[in-house]
Amino acid sequence: MAKSRDIYRRMRSVDNTRKITRTMEMVSTAKLRQAQGRVIRARPYSQHLSEMIARLSTPELAELQPLLRQPDEIERAAVVLLTSNRGLCGAFNANLIRAAQAQIKELEEGGAEVEFHVYGNKGISYFRFRGVEMALARNDLSDRPEPTDAIDAIDDIAARFEAGDLDAAYIVYAEFRNMVSTPPATRQILPVSVGEKTGPQPFYILRPSAEEILSQLLPLYVTNSVFSAMLETAAAEQAARRTAMKSATDNAEEFLNKLRRTYNRARQAEITNQIAEIIGGADALEG
Amino acid sequence: MAKPGDHDGPWDDIPSAASLNPERALYVSVISPSSAAFEGTAESVQVPAYDGELGILYGHAPMVVLLGTGTLRVRGAEGERRFSVSRGFLQVVDNRVSVLAEDIEALETA
Repeated sequence: MAKSRDIYRRMRSVDNTRKITRTMEMVSTAKLRQAQGRVIRARPYSQHLSEMIARLSTPELAELQPLLRQPDEIERAAVVLLTSNRGLCGAFNANLIRAAQAQIKELEEGGAEVEFHVYGNKGISYFRFRGVEMALARNDLSDRPEPTDAIDAIDDIAARFEAGDLDAAYIVYAEFRNMVSTPPATRQILPVSVGEKTGPQPFYILRPSAEEILSQLLPLYVTNSVFSAMLETAAAEQAARRTAMKSATDNAEEFLNKLRRTYNRARQAEITNQIAEIIGGADALEG
Repeated sequence: MAKPGDHDGPWDDIPSAASLNPERALYVSVISPSSAAFEGTAESVQVPAYDGELGILYGHAPMVVLLGTGTLRVRGAEGERRFSVSRGFLQVVDNRVSVLAEDIEALETA
């Protein structure tokens, strides 16, 4: 008798959870659309900038640029990890953390001393719990990163790289490929790796000079690659959350159907039982 | 008239007086790190270069120039649009003008 009521209680609880996950799915769908727009709007700038740097740089000029300095050996490196502040987004943060650990391990095996910068509560609490030393732990990065956030994050690292205090810097972030694919990625920020020259080279008038332009643009390029990593991670977080919440909603739905069937069966069995008892009782009275 | 991509020398594209017709428009994009502030055609662009104001008309030779801080003016059929810009560069190639700057703010049209 009590069985059907127990099942009913569970059905209500699953139904409530489903309502929550469905709402979260819808919220992250809306946020994802905005974040995706920001990623797309920011692309032309990075594209132009990297094309221009590829066009201007020549091996001779590269030797004069401190940001292009290729150290013979990496003695000190910085790894910047971007994670989210909130959970409920599936394996999103776990994947990023794993990628960061792999990068650190690789650097340390190469004999480098690694300094670790972590953004986002999820990464911070993971590494704090494990007693990993972090040079910087911040959780105040909003889900709408501004270019100034990138400057804050990288300025100090870039200055120390120029001074020779650091030999390399990497950022671990989530690449936003599309709505469902947001794999973790590691990008080398410093030294700046110059892309391949593409297409025919028009004869450019360069003012004041290629060297001067390059030395002004390289810092912008460094900040911009951090900025785009931040934007992509923010979009990827929403995409991951949406996927996680969608599968949670689907699971709840399926579970609810199963419970409903069991509930109905129990209810029918109960009624059958009661009828049998009534008939049995009536028979006994007549007899 | 020079075709796009046709760059035998830097002086090939100088417009003659007879060639000032609306078809000879510049394609201008003004881009900041977070979004494009302007995309469209214009007759002329006046830009604050690192060493002073610089005017760009149709047929300008390919050029890359550092920006200073100041007001960028884009003059087109619909009037003039102004942006305050700093920290960036301007690129002209094939009558496409791209202005990239860290700080861009659209100003009220005068």
